[in-house]
Amino acid sequence: MKVTCTQENFKKAIYSTERVVGKQITLPILENILIETDNGMLKISATNLEIGVFLKIGAKIEQEGEITVPARLLSNFVNNFPASSTVSLTVIDQTLHIESGSSKAQIKGLMAHDFPIIPEMAGSFLFSLPAQDMKDALPRLISCVSLDSTRPELTGLNMVLAKDEIRLAATDSFRLAEAIVTLKKEDPSVYDLFFEKTSSIIVPQTTFSEVLRVINPETQDIKIGIEESQIFFQIDNVRIVSRLINGRYPEYRQIIPQQFATKVVLEKNDVLRAVKIAGIFTNSKAGEIEFSVNLEQKVLKIQSKAEEVGENQSIISAKIEGPEQSALFNPRYMVDGLQTIATPRLALLMNSNSSPAVLRMVQGENNEEISSFTYIIMPIKN
Amino acid sequence: MNNTELWQAALGEIELSISKANFSTWFKNTTILSRENGKVVIGVPNGFAKEWLENKYNTYIFRALRNFQEDIKEISCTIYSSDQSPKSSEAKSVDSVAQGLGAAKNIDNPYAYTPQASTVTQTSYAQKAYENNINHRYTFENFIIGENNELARAACYAVSQNLGKVYNPLFIYGGVGLGKTHLLQSIGNEVLEKDPAKRIKYITSERFANELIDSIRNQTVNDFKATYSAIDLLIIDDVQFLAGKEKTQIEFFHIFNALYQINKQIVISSDRPPKAIATLEDRLRSRFEGGMIADIGKPDLETRMAILKTKATEKNFYLDEEALRFIAENVKNNIRELEGALNRIIAACEFNNKLPTLKFVQQALSEIISAGKKKGIQAQHVIEAVSQYFNIPTKELIEKGRKKEISYARQIAMYIMRTELNASYPGIGSQFGGRDHTTAMHAYEKVSKDIENNEKVKEDVAILREKIYAV
Repeated sequence: MKVTCTQENFKKAIYSTERVVGKQITLPILENILIETDNGMLKISATNLEIGVFLKIGAKIEQEGEITVPARLLSNFVNNFPASSTVSLTVIDQTLHIESGSSKAQIKGLMAHDFPIIPEMAGSFLFSLPAQDMKDALPRLISCVSLDSTRPELTGLNMVLAKDEIRLAATDSFRLAEAIVTLKKEDPSVYDLFFEKTSSIIVPQTTFSEVLRVINPETQDIKIGIEESQIFFQIDNVRIVSRLINGRYPEYRQIIPQQFATKVVLEKNDVLRAVKIAGIFTNSKAGEIEFSVNLEQKVLKIQSKAEEVGENQSIISAKIEGPEQSALFNPRYMVDGLQTIATPRLALLMNSNSSPAVLRMVQGENNEEISSFTYIIMPIKN
Repeated sequence: MNNTELWQAALGEIELSISKANFSTWFKNTTILSRENGKVVIGVPNGFAKEWLENKYNTYIFRALRNFQEDIKEISCTIYSSDQSPKSSEAKSVDSVAQGLGAAKNIDNPYAYTPQASTVTQTSYAQKAYENNINHRYTFENFIIGENNELARAACYAVSQNLGKVYNPLFIYGGVGLGKTHLLQSIGNEVLEKDPAKRIKYITSERFANELIDSIRNQTVNDFKATYSAIDLLIIDDVQFLAGKEKTQIEFFHIFNALYQINKQIVISSDRPPKAIATLEDRLRSRFEGGMIADIGKPDLETRMAILKTKATEKNFYLDEEALRFIAENVKNNIRELEGALNRIIAACEFNNKLPTLKFVQQALSEIISAGKKKGIQAQHVIEAVSQYFNIPTKELIEKGRKKEISYARQIAMYIMRTELNASYPGIGSQFGGRDHTTAMHAYEKVSKDIENNEKVKEDVAILREKIYAV
């Protein structure tokens, strides 16, 4: 193989693929990145057998070829490239000779034909999602994903396909986040047929973390295809393939109350500060802080108490509609929830001290709720 | 054979043909989903496995399945998930949405099983399906030569270069796990590489007997004979299992003669020389002895180290010289054990996320190594075993006799006490009628030196060791 390409493209390609490598000692080739020439392009692939990523970049190809080299080594080298416009790659006897500007390296590789084959899509993409919306929504959701491997279905994000939108949800069974993103159908008839059959899938959290990593500020669309328990993403020139998690995602919509008795509009930064302070005055793990809404004084009181430490109280002015409420929350989950709020003000919606509370962003004079994102937190029952 | 049995059997065979890492990566959680009209659908857990099995391992699978079910024409893979019903969640914490979530209705997930099989047809296998049982992993190139196996290896190589002309039959013998099968398979691979059209059959004697029994039951003995008589190279492994099976021996004798007369190569292996196989028909024994007999001994330290190094590189695992030496010094008996020890270290390193330093290796192997040394063996056992072996009364062994035979036996006993029981020199001295510790030291040094130079001493010690541990 003898190939020259731009340093920028090569760097980006390595950045997009380097993390998707396996750490299996039994199959060491999974720690490698596959570099091969493919129809006049340079194709870079990596996989850990759960997720596969590949992309093609333009390159001047003098001689076809292929090799796999350790991802970490390559990326460490590439990250420290001296400023130069091009990178030249040459393969001689299973060694990759790589040269950019004043720096040269020889990396020992493994045979490319032992590298796993990354599945290709048989059909076409079903729909696409606006990349920037996803870039906003995904980080908020990912923080809620469960890490508990005894319930594998909760270790992924639920994607529910509807007519004109998808609902993404994540929960660890203590709190739940839901985002609604409008979609663009690639072929409406195909999509409609598909979503009638299959409306709910579970995508591993790590897959979305990779997707997030690949999205650029300039990225327009994320194209998505679903086939045979696998999901395919096309983001600019990067293709990501992932398995789906088997299992049934809980029908979480049932637990979201349709109506709320009390709506409290608060300044985000005030509440966040108060909750963080209150969190200090709790027993580290099973901590609880009390939210009480006082209609008369038009305030929200946040207080906490720990036997050994002491106690604390913050009073925040609020706009309140509906009756008084008081409930206990886990400060950590509350902080996570507040951090998903991107607007200066938010609405806290409550029914009672045992029913789920909801955080939503609000905007405008009348504090209208933005319903495309919902954070639900369960109060601690006494 | 139902689908599960068939797949288990096929996996057993595939496992031999590919590396362990590949096997466990690609064949984990696979199963046969359906089998109809010669079409087999294999369920695989993910897309990667599907691609790999269809593109890289299809021949192996096809061949393995054909071994058990001749009518299989087509195999295909499809992604399938064994429906793991989610464990009912235990809401331990009070603030649990789980109660609400858990109560949710079940919805159908059509992803559970969507057969979209792509098929691989038979034509491409027609040639390869010829069943020779040769495993491509074993070649002369990856056989490590040491003093112990030079002769056997040279003989096998010569045979592979000159079928039926040089040493016919070739008889290889040696203990378990020393590389007989590797050498035998290497001949097959070498021959196939030179001329893929050659008809080769590798078979264990046990399998041979079973095939014969089947053919008798199905009244196809003539077919059976005909297949075997048309072979260019017949390799029979572990021929000692023919002992006692008279009818099989007779059939084998005829096949042997038929092949031998037309100068077809026969290679045989066994764990002992033909003479030592009891109840082997005389006419067979004399024929075995008529060709070339070569033995494979236990590998010496250097060979063991070389083997370890190669195996470690194969597995992409780095071990420093010290650790290698430690393993080679402590795992002596056979190569399989050596590989086992290495695997154990790799697993332990992976599990504990540690580097294989000498100390770690010692720790990881402590069980294996000490397992060889049985607890509770006393000086008394050693003395008794030695006196029995040399046929010298215990009393004489302990008392002051200075006859050559007695002092030799006594020295051996002292040496064994020192090496196997870790007894102190003064302690050994006192066991032998209050001798001085320097006597024990001298004995130890003398025997240590003699073991290096004198085959007889080496053998005596080895046999005694076995005897003691056999208690």
